[in-house]
Amino acid sequence: MSVKSVYCMCLILSLALSASAQNNKKMSPEKQGLLLLTDYLGLHPKDISFRQDYHDPDGFRLSKVAALMSQPLDMIGYVDELKGVHIKGQPEILASILFDDLAVTGQSSRSRAYRPQGTEAGEAYTLYFLNQSLNQFLARMAVYIDQVFPRSTEMMLAPLSKKQKRFLTTKFKEIITSDLEEEFYTIEQHDSLEKAEERYADQFVEFAHKIDKDPIIRAGIDCLKMILLETKRLRKQLRGGEDAAEDFMRVTGFLPDNTDLSAFLGRQPGWAIGGPDNDYYNGDYYFILDIGGDDIYDLEYDPDNPHGVIIIDFSGNDSYRSRSDFTLGSGCLSVGILVDFEGDDRYDAKSFSLGSGYFGFGILYDAAGDDRYDGDTHVQGAGSFGLGLLVDEGGRDIYNGALFAQGFGFIEGCGLICDTKGSDSYYAGGKYKDILRYDDHYISLSQGFGYGLRPVMSGGIGGIIDLEGNDSYYTDIFGQGSSYWWSLGFISDKAGNDNYHSFQYAQGAGTHMSLGILTDDSGNDVYFSKGVSQGCGHDYSAGILLDRNGNDTYTAYDLSQAAGSANGVGILIDNSGEDRYFIHNEKNSQGYGNPRRDFGSIGLFIDLGGSDQYLGNGRDDFFWQTKSKWGGGMDIELIPEDETKK
Amino acid sequence: MKIKIFIAVISFILVAALTLAAAESNRTPVQLQKRIDSIFVIASSGELKYRDKVDPAIESLAKLGAKAVPPLIDKFTTKSARERLTIIKILKKIGSPALPDLIDALSRPEWLVIKRVCWTLGDISDSAAVLSLLGVANHDNWQVREYSIRALGKIGDLRAVAAVINSFNDSVGQVRKAAVVSAGKLNSAETISYLVQMLGDSYYGARLSAVEALLTKDTTRLLAQLKEALNSASGLKAKLAMKVLGKIGNDEAMDILSEQLNSGNRQKEVDAAIAIMSADPQDICGYHESVFEKIKDRLALLKIESARASAGDGTYSAN
Repeated sequence: MSVKSVYCMCLILSLALSASAQNNKKMSPEKQGLLLLTDYLGLHPKDISFRQDYHDPDGFRLSKVAALMSQPLDMIGYVDELKGVHIKGQPEILASILFDDLAVTGQSSRSRAYRPQGTEAGEAYTLYFLNQSLNQFLARMAVYIDQVFPRSTEMMLAPLSKKQKRFLTTKFKEIITSDLEEEFYTIEQHDSLEKAEERYADQFVEFAHKIDKDPIIRAGIDCLKMILLETKRLRKQLRGGEDAAEDFMRVTGFLPDNTDLSAFLGRQPGWAIGGPDNDYYNGDYYFILDIGGDDIYDLEYDPDNPHGVIIIDFSGNDSYRSRSDFTLGSGCLSVGILVDFEGDDRYDAKSFSLGSGYFGFGILYDAAGDDRYDGDTHVQGAGSFGLGLLVDEGGRDIYNGALFAQGFGFIEGCGLICDTKGSDSYYAGGKYKDILRYDDHYISLSQGFGYGLRPVMSGGIGGIIDLEGNDSYYTDIFGQGSSYWWSLGFISDKAGNDNYHSFQYAQGAGTHMSLGILTDDSGNDVYFSKGVSQGCGHDYSAGILLDRNGNDTYTAYDLSQAAGSANGVGILIDNSGEDRYFIHNEKNSQGYGNPRRDFGSIGLFIDLGGSDQYLGNGRDDFFWQTKSKWGGGMDIELIPEDETKK
Repeated sequence: MKIKIFIAVISFILVAALTLAAAESNRTPVQLQKRIDSIFVIASSGELKYRDKVDPAIESLAKLGAKAVPPLIDKFTTKSARERLTIIKILKKIGSPALPDLIDALSRPEWLVIKRVCWTLGDISDSAAVLSLLGVANHDNWQVREYSIRALGKIGDLRAVAAVINSFNDSVGQVRKAAVVSAGKLNSAETISYLVQMLGDSYYGARLSAVEALLTKDTTRLLAQLKEALNSASGLKAKLAMKVLGKIGNDEAMDILSEQLNSGNRQKEVDAAIAIMSADPQDICGYHESVFEKIKDRLALLKIESARASAGDGTYSAN
């Protein structure tokens, strides 16, 4: 080894050590704050940890959720990482990362999608269009729709009986959906309904472990990647002047009178290729490619005949409408991909739509425009034994859902909205009444919500990532980075002056052995919720609200703003800014823990900078410990003021 | 004539009442089960609109007494937390007459049922259950261990001391926590040294519960043990020992704390200062000057000032 190479190695080593030392020194403000406050209270950040065996662990627990339950403070790093994953025009990267997070505890390997063998990969279709690139693309799509998707679904459900397969689209669906009539049920009807759902869950547990969701999700992600790659080339061709569209759509010159068009590529049953004009599509489709115009889609889907659905629209202000459940970027026992590249679009959906993965993979990718999304249940980034994604890369968007919507993760599922630009509005709730608790509030269970079936099946991961804009979030009961039963719900909002409004179980709230977190990196934000919110963990759960910058206003009534309940952990951290904290009931908020099972919970309230105003237990420049088991807070100046700005 | 009519009416009422009473006592188990099931649906209802019917239904089931106990124990396999709490509530109301069936249920195979029976026995707090609870205190399932130790503490019978001390070494934090809480409830000095050790426990539930449990003990024996704990290598143990000393706050405790102000260990000096401020915010003992001479660090001073203000105005818990 030469002297030069030894010198180089030493240099690299010293640089690595120096970088490592710098990393060690650079502890985040929130971490420093946690160390300081826990020390004051006789605690340590490591105390924030939960066991895996409060109940017999089930076989559906996601290893990511299990790991985060052991170290709930790692939720902060987890959502920070996810926030940085998305690359414009490549939603498949985010999908792949989330697929990794769908590994179940103890799962040593993940199944691949079905790989077509020999002739399957190039089934003989007669060419209809003259454009070679188009034909190549359509041929590849045909392989996915004819071979990869159905075979991957078979791989997913192979061990199930016909009756069990039927169960998935009937009784299991009933567990998720709600009925407006329930509000008027008698006590006996309620009991009967509750027992029926318990029975369904018990029946499902018997065979659910046989379901392998991996092949179909992977098939969907692979297909999405290919679509985005190939359509880039096709869209480029279409930009080549006025005649480009005409050339693109040019078909083979002569067709005999008795020709069966279904044997031609692009003209198969359930396929449609639309030109630059305004087109209308109506029915249950497998594949639509539309290159322009303001189009109308009236779509339906029959879950008894599951199949892949790919819809690609290059431009125009389009209107997508559901005539049944399981449409518009909905993978029901298969893959559903909806890609819209341009225009101000309107999506009017029913349930299980708009980026819904229900025993499958569903994505709605809208690359530009001011869009409006409306749906009912299990919509707008919702996953159950699957992955559901709604990625919107531009514009001022409106999201409207009723239940289990806007980043919802159910059993072995993950649902996410990733909105990268624009001031957006998120509304979830207002339809199904919360008959258990109130006569004038509605369940939302949405906006970064993870949910499991207590106590038999662990839940999934639900989240919203919003990178820009002054956003407005509204939920009622359960929402905005909250969770129930061995699951994770999160919102990570990077920038903008945002408004978070909810009523209960919200804004970083974990309930019953689960995890909820809301992080907001910058902007002057407003948080309002009545209770069990703003950093609240109930029943061996953790809830974290972390706001890093801006002059923020927090208002709540009770059991909020760093409240631990029933051996849970609630944390509120505000790193900087001139903030205002308002609480109605100071006896159980702002650094509070209540006793259950003869011992306490943990509530940690941390403000690390700025001149702040309090109504409640907090005080500016102060450490406090509330008369509770166990909680407290501190308001200090951790980050030195920047002298150059004075 | 009037007397005859009166006698006839009275006789009829008596006969009717006796017939009804006989019918009630002769109810077959199936009928009883059905009746319990139907009332239980109401008793365990969570819906807002039926809330005023819940308490009368619970009362009605409790009035059935011992004969309602076996069917209620069978319901302990429920997956609903609301139903589980309702059962415990009813059994607690039935009280000691429920004991024979509950004790029998401790030998059932389902750990979840045993855990819930232990919970109920603790709530009933009848010392007749002590030996049976001791019998499950080393159960394979940690939640059964936790709830049996918890129940023994609630009953407060000194026969439980050995089992409680044994549980301080359990591998599961929740069981150690239950032992600490029970030790605080048992009127025994034997547990003091163990409780002081638990101030350094790795599980916060055990550690912080030990602070409270120690405050129920006789300070004469406690102070020496706490003084010793201040030499512990565990920062948290020493910190919490100082917290207990601050809460005791008598002259001897204050002397021990003031010694720590000059211990040469920065963390201990700050912790001692906080404990002194909490115990004596008005500076009756005259330690404040030495505290402020000693401590200059900005955040440490803020903690100390906060502790003094908190103890002074009574708004907060003294640290």
